[in-house]
Amino acid sequence: MTGSGSVAPTAPGAVRLRRLVIATHRDVGYFIAGLTVIYAVSGIAVNHIDDWNPSYVVRSEVVELGPLPDAPTEELAAEVLRRLGIDERPRSVVRMAPLQLKVFLDNRNLTVGLPVGTVTDERSRRRIAFFEANYLHLNHGKGLWTWFADAYAVGLLLLACTGIFIVPGKKGLGGRGRWLLLAGLAVPLAYLVWKAW
Amino acid sequence: MRRTVGALVVMIAVVGLASAGDIQGTIYGAGVTISEPTPIATLLSKPGDFVGQKVRVDGVITGVCEKRGCWMQVTDPESGQGVRIKVEDGVIVFPYESMGHRAAAEGTFEAVKLTPEQVAARAEAAKQAAAGAAAAAGEPCDKAEAPAAKAGCDAPVQNDTIYLLRGTGAVIQS
Repeated sequence: MTGSGSVAPTAPGAVRLRRLVIATHRDVGYFIAGLTVIYAVSGIAVNHIDDWNPSYVVRSEVVELGPLPDAPTEELAAEVLRRLGIDERPRSVVRMAPLQLKVFLDNRNLTVGLPVGTVTDERSRRRIAFFEANYLHLNHGKGLWTWFADAYAVGLLLLACTGIFIVPGKKGLGGRGRWLLLAGLAVPLAYLVWKAW
Repeated sequence: MRRTVGALVVMIAVVGLASAGDIQGTIYGAGVTISEPTPIATLLSKPGDFVGQKVRVDGVITGVCEKRGCWMQVTDPESGQGVRIKVEDGVIVFPYESMGHRAAAEGTFEAVKLTPEQVAARAEAAKQAAAGAAAAAGEPCDKAEAPAAKAGCDAPVQNDTIYLLRGTGAVIQS
């Protein structure tokens, strides 16, 4: 951002302060630009969580295997895997009910209806890039990331506070900037008033 | 320098891992502090005796909140009975890919009274969850003589009350 138009001469102290403000805004801006993009993408993704799963892709299909024998749980699971052509050792097998068996594989769950052999085959995988962005944005990791995220928030505060003082004159707080600043504050306030009404 | 970095990596890897009895893995929330688990079958057979008490349950994770990770279903693989571990949104997040892993979880056992609308919604959801063999065999979840827990549905609906664990922590096998 740069100033525009002619500005009245200012005191050396004010010039130094403005240089500090610009330098702070510039350097903090560079430092947090990457994370801001990540958080913005995640923010849009989780805003619409009612419409989609922002972190995982989960797909399921129903497969008919035909009647299954009356057998112990482990044997039944082995038979289901054999018929599905899956050569993977299950993570676990649980008889949820006399007529329902669940076989858990790596990112894949089979819900087997007994004895008819109807299988709901659910596969899931992390949504590339979004999973990681949400992990950071929603602070699933806790611990050290909490501190870094706090520092990032302070960085945003610095950006906001320095940003409004960068441009002097009519395009700054003395003119258009003031109205844009007020408009930006008015939107959330108006929304809150509208919701409270 | 390399040693320092190596030690740091090992430290980061070790932090957040713990064991709860024979279950070793990643800690969520406050982890598990109670040494002896209460069998899920015992909890659900006399739920009134445990309401308000802090208990630990062990089992296999058979369900996880898909979008938010704000609950998981821990099921006893022997009996097929399960209890939902509900945590505050965002405070603890159970990963969806932890399904099928063994877990120990603890928290306060609670009875939650449902509204008639919630009862109807849960019965419908339970019916859909039990689609497949149970439904095909004419064994819907909400039939009177077989409570939802027995029909393999995720949410044990007993009249208009459900029981869950207000989770404070867990250890999930890695």
